Amino acid sequence: MANIRLDKLKPLVALAVFLFLWWVIPTAVKSSLRLSFAEFNAPAWVLNSKFDQLADFWKHRNHSKIELIEAGQNLARSNARYQIIAQRYETLENEIERLESILGLPERPGFRHEVARVLKRDLSVWWQEITIRKGKDFDIPVGAAVIFAGGVVGRIKEVYAFTSTVELISSPNFRMAALFSGDSRPVVYQGSNQSGFGFPFGEVRDAPQDLLPTSQNPHTLVSTRLGGTFPPGLTIGSVHWLEPGSTGIFQTGEVRLDPRLHDLKEVTVLIPSEAKEAVSNAN
Amino acid sequence: MPIDPRAFIFLGSNVLLLYLFQLVNSVLASSFIYLILLGPMLVFPALFMRHRSASFCLIITGIWIDTNIPATFGIFTISFYGLGTFLFLLRHRFRLEHNFHPHIIGQVINLLLILSLSFSNGWAHLLNKEIWIQTTSIILCSALCLFVISSWFFNFQRMLIELFHLNLEPEDLPIS
Repeated sequence: MANIRLDKLKPLVALAVFLFLWWVIPTAVKSSLRLSFAEFNAPAWVLNSKFDQLADFWKHRNHSKIELIEAGQNLARSNARYQIIAQRYETLENEIERLESILGLPERPGFRHEVARVLKRDLSVWWQEITIRKGKDFDIPVGAAVIFAGGVVGRIKEVYAFTSTVELISSPNFRMAALFSGDSRPVVYQGSNQSGFGFPFGEVRDAPQDLLPTSQNPHTLVSTRLGGTFPPGLTIGSVHWLEPGSTGIFQTGEVRLDPRLHDLKEVTVLIPSEAKEAVSNAN
Repeated sequence: MPIDPRAFIFLGSNVLLLYLFQLVNSVLASSFIYLILLGPMLVFPALFMRHRSASFCLIITGIWIDTNIPATFGIFTISFYGLGTFLFLLRHRFRLEHNFHPHIIGQVINLLLILSLSFSNGWAHLLNKEIWIQTTSIILCSALCLFVISSWFFNFQRMLIELFHLNLEPEDLPIS
């Protein structure tokens, strides 16, 4: 009789021992366990991405020659336009550098652009993350800015051997300094819990009282150089209204983010030049 | 006592299900439908195998999920082992010849896992209505999908066991 009771208790004792061990095990051990499993998993996702690419390739092979010629012509027009813009950009950069040297201003941080394909999207009310197909193999540092054609995507959260995790700007854990376009006073942008309906959105705080955006005249929120992660002027989202904040001194409001944010296929990681130099020096 | 070879089959099928539903979540990201289909993963390991093999399978599955889902690390490892242990203790009450009991257990466990995830991730935001709107939609969508997925998953696990010429009978059932 006593044997049967002890036998019944065995799983519960094992559970208690496991919980105690889990509690006692140092965080470093858990982190390395997580890292090992993540690295072990990564090839499956990379393989899936390669299959996606292959599917895209075969899809494009089915296009007719006339469609390809038209696409080529459009691309040539775009290239010509972008070449002119690039020339103009170079002239302006040279002018800025000349003025900066005259004024003796400190050097601005430079960035190396690394385009990466999105492997996986994990977007829920609890987290807003994407995984990209570049990691330590491309010297991607933790905390680097991630952008796309519509503006800011987020920040690198974790870097593995061949993949990296990006925390999106819509995540409630994401926070950055920002500016309203045409205004020099910094404000705070923070992601929010997404309801799942309508546009992705965030929140702007500490906005000055004199700013009055409306639905007809929304204000654009852009990144600032403060913090050093993002280059200035990248679009974060648009603000359609502001209301007095809890302090009564500043205003707060909702920021509408780009809807393409949740359907990204490729993003660009901005790797600070210093980080690249530090990695090459270490090597 | 070595690990039951069925533990590796259950582990492999669990990893496959995890991978598949994450692929679906990735594709449906812009529609904001998010599925959590974890309940069926711990039904057969807990009901079919001895405690040691079941524990091995559930802990490794839990760690695998914790690595893939960006929740607090350990939440699924602990939940899987804890829920698996209670299921193991109650295993003589269930009939495994058909999918009805495993299906109901899978649904209940899935609901418990979603709620535990919600509480572990959102203590600071529990008064936020967005959290509860989304959690409710996740619970409903996942439950609807489980009606279809569970039967396929359990039959798939049975088929794998038969394919490897292993015994389908539950082991170590207590004498009631």
